[in-house]
Amino acid sequence: MSLNYSSPLFLFGLLGIAIPVLIHLLTRRQQKQIRFSAVHLLKQSQKRSTQKSRPNRLLLLIARCLAIALFSLALADPFFSFRQSEAFRSGSPTSTVFILDDSYSMGKKSDKNLLFDLALEFISEGVKQASDKSEFSLVLASSQTRIEQDWTSDKTTFEKTLTAQSLSFRTTSIGDAIDLSIKLLDSAKQEKKKILVLTDLDKNGWKEEAFLKLTNLAPYSIKLLDFSSLLPDDNKGMVKSVQISQEFLTQSRLLRVKAEVKNFSSTLSRVPLSLFLEGKIVKEELLNVPPGQTHSHEFSYPLRRNLPINGKIQIPDDALTSDNSRHFSFHPSQNIKVLVVDGDPETISHQSESFYLERALNPFSVSLSHIDPTVSTLAELPLRNLSDFSVVILANVRELSSGYELELEKFVLNGGALLFGMGSQVNPKYFNEHLGNLFPVKLDSLYRVQGEPLHLLLKNNAHPVVKIFSPKELAEMREINFDSIYTVQAREDKAFKVGAWFSKQHPAVIESKVGKGIVVLFLSSLDRDWNDFPIQPTFLPWIQRWTQYSARGLDSIFRQSLLVGEAFRKSASGSEGRWIVRSPDRVLHLLDDKGFTNTFQPGIYHLFSLPSSDTKTEMPKTLERLPSGAEPAGSFTVNIDTQESEPEKISHKEIQHFLEGMKIEIQEPHSQASKPQDSGGTPLATPFFLLVAGMLLVEGWMIRKE
Amino acid sequence: MENSTQKLDAQALSHVSTLKITAMNLVEGLLTGQHRSRHKGSSVEFAEYKDYSPGDEIRHIDWKVVGKTDKYHVKQFEQSTNLKCTILLDASGSMGYQSPFPEQVSKMEYARNLVATLSYLFLKQFDAVGLTLFNDKVIEHIPPRSKASHFQHILHGLVNIAPKGTTQIADVLGGLSERLPGRSMLILVSDFFAPNQDLQKSLKLLCSRGIEVILFHVLHPDEIHLPFEGDIVFESLEDGSTLGLDPQDICDEYQKLIQEHINSFKKDCNGLGVDYIFQDTSEPLDQALSYYLLKRKSLTKL
Repeated sequence: MSLNYSSPLFLFGLLGIAIPVLIHLLTRRQQKQIRFSAVHLLKQSQKRSTQKSRPNRLLLLIARCLAIALFSLALADPFFSFRQSEAFRSGSPTSTVFILDDSYSMGKKSDKNLLFDLALEFISEGVKQASDKSEFSLVLASSQTRIEQDWTSDKTTFEKTLTAQSLSFRTTSIGDAIDLSIKLLDSAKQEKKKILVLTDLDKNGWKEEAFLKLTNLAPYSIKLLDFSSLLPDDNKGMVKSVQISQEFLTQSRLLRVKAEVKNFSSTLSRVPLSLFLEGKIVKEELLNVPPGQTHSHEFSYPLRRNLPINGKIQIPDDALTSDNSRHFSFHPSQNIKVLVVDGDPETISHQSESFYLERALNPFSVSLSHIDPTVSTLAELPLRNLSDFSVVILANVRELSSGYELELEKFVLNGGALLFGMGSQVNPKYFNEHLGNLFPVKLDSLYRVQGEPLHLLLKNNAHPVVKIFSPKELAEMREINFDSIYTVQAREDKAFKVGAWFSKQHPAVIESKVGKGIVVLFLSSLDRDWNDFPIQPTFLPWIQRWTQYSARGLDSIFRQSLLVGEAFRKSASGSEGRWIVRSPDRVLHLLDDKGFTNTFQPGIYHLFSLPSSDTKTEMPKTLERLPSGAEPAGSFTVNIDTQESEPEKISHKEIQHFLEGMKIEIQEPHSQASKPQDSGGTPLATPFFLLVAGMLLVEGWMIRKE
Repeated sequence: MENSTQKLDAQALSHVSTLKITAMNLVEGLLTGQHRSRHKGSSVEFAEYKDYSPGDEIRHIDWKVVGKTDKYHVKQFEQSTNLKCTILLDASGSMGYQSPFPEQVSKMEYARNLVATLSYLFLKQFDAVGLTLFNDKVIEHIPPRSKASHFQHILHGLVNIAPKGTTQIADVLGGLSERLPGRSMLILVSDFFAPNQDLQKSLKLLCSRGIEVILFHVLHPDEIHLPFEGDIVFESLEDGSTLGLDPQDICDEYQKLIQEHINSFKKDCNGLGVDYIFQDTSEPLDQALSYYLLKRKSLTKL
């Protein structure tokens, strides 16, 4: 039972009581005493003129003081709460697990405070009121749920833990938090045990699968405090997603930023949308988004330079600011120099491998595909400086000039990529004998398909190269007929990966790391001799992506956008050496082999690669400044999971269904900074104002004749 | 005694001494005075003729009338008797009211002057006058005497008054009515601040015994107008009870009440044939008495 005030500053108004007291004292007349004869007549007169008599000055003073006091109290917006204190102030000591929802949806503003701050304040107040032997623990309900404070009876320690808490950008997982709490309660000392959940009842946090694993619910009681009830303003909208694409087949080099905006408002339909690039607003648009609907809008922005660009899409601030912007990062592909070695040049150009490869790698010009192919014949190969190229494609090569295998080995070991395509010229004997250090497999035999041709099996293929293909494109690729392939045998002690399969369990693409480089073996031809692939529309992206993949240019393409909490890992192709991640708050972290997991803040994370000389020195996990020689190696973005922004609330019925067996109590909390709205506490402002009016009436009645 | 005598308003005494107070009714008295008796007898003042009837004294037959009319008529004369007057002075606490405003005559002082003046007048007319002081009972009783020296006794009684106690007029009158001789005069001087008193009944009893009653209602202007201001605690002079208030709040009501009080006496007295004289102590005593006596004289058959 407690009396709280929403605006306690107004309590200073109580000092105003001094005014009528001073007036009373200053205007007090000297009281005289007179011995009089007709006192009985005076008494009769007083009785008869009660209604007209001058007010009792003391009563008048009391009425005025009361009026001022009540007015001050009413302005301070008091509310009387039984429940809040009941939650804590019980006679016997209690073991209480506080489940604090620190997901970003608790960042909604209620007047000046965030719901999260109000929840912290609520816990703090509760702990202060609790009996001395009570013990508390704190579980944070944002995923991954975690025990922030194990059982403690020391209120100071607990208060410190509370002070250290801050709002996260994660999503809620109440089920997991309750699971943790029950485990905590099992080890609690006190007989009276309860769970207090401070949340906004966002439906996203109540996933059924999390509750299915809960057992042993019955002995405990759970109290849910719905802080969303304190929210005066609603979340008006969010940026749901941002997709970046670069205009590829035109000359314009336009960057297209496609943003999806959802309007949560029930009245407003116009949403201003802004595009920021490198911190500056470059485009604005007023979208017409019907209430409750999602609308997508595409900004086009011409890229003048082939440099990485970071930006964000933003809508105006509302009650929840976290979901009003979404970051993106765009990395134009770096030009990859590719040496295409045609082992079987034909006089009719389109019969050569190099014809299809060159066109696939660079359909128009260098600046568009970022791949710069150079076609060479086998004879010219020794004249080429391999260090000028990132990727060498050997297409239908019979034999390399003597000793050139060592050059290639050196090239690959130093980080180059070697792609090998089959064809009629390929000599398995030479291949197996001379290229054994490069390729992890032996060519077995040429397999000419009789009857039903072979097809690529791309079902559930999560390979980075295939990942971007749409289902339709994948279906098209699966239709391609392969008449001839080479079968292979694995070499001993050689690790390799099958990048794609043909039907009938024949490998299609074999890849293997060699030194710092990579070799990729395509077991069919790269021209139309053994298949129809080169004339299919998917050949172009297939070849380009394999080239980019082997040249390690894919990271920036498919791993650049993460959700809060998702780990950033190095790509499958991997990169040797150490990398440093700079988070949006400009803290530097060393990226280890396990990946970077500290992605709890939305924004752009910059990657830096350390020079190879630094790789062997021991470095701390967190750095104060970038080591010299660190070079920008790209960036990735982390954005919030917009599921948490959805305004839908879990119903009491659903909660009861999830927590069946538990004694559930759902309340709306009351905060000093917000107006109470339910029966959990009685607002007293109106009665106080009425009392003020009453006092003024009484005063008016008392002085009506004065 | 001399001092007390000096205190009396000599001017008032001399002024009213020329006036004669006459009783309206004939008073039986032992002494022949200027008051007419209802008993016809030897006197200087002719009253009327009466047919002679056996038993009448022959010396009262007016022989001149017999000579003229041959009828026997007996002359009748109005007999003057001495009046026996008892002045009843209220000596209760309320009569001791002293105004906080300076230069105002106190109520008891005024009443003393009034009683002394009346006593002197009576004695000068050779009427017997007595003084009874009372509050809730008779405090002192000076029986009526007509000797001139009796004035000193009365003055002595007046000087020694110390107003105190509550007023119980009805009881006192009830007791006195038994002792007073019939057809005498009773002058009651009081402020009549006696709550819950049925004075009318007592007066009626006195009148029925043929006692002429004159009420002098003496009030101080403060008691009429309640001119006080500010927060005042009024302490009762009679029972010591207190009442704190601002008199301005109830002033109108009080004035109305006191007027009702006065008017009710006036009305009761008129109904009983009792003379009622309201005396405001701010009014000069001689002026007030002269006015009353002149008025009374005009009503008296001479």
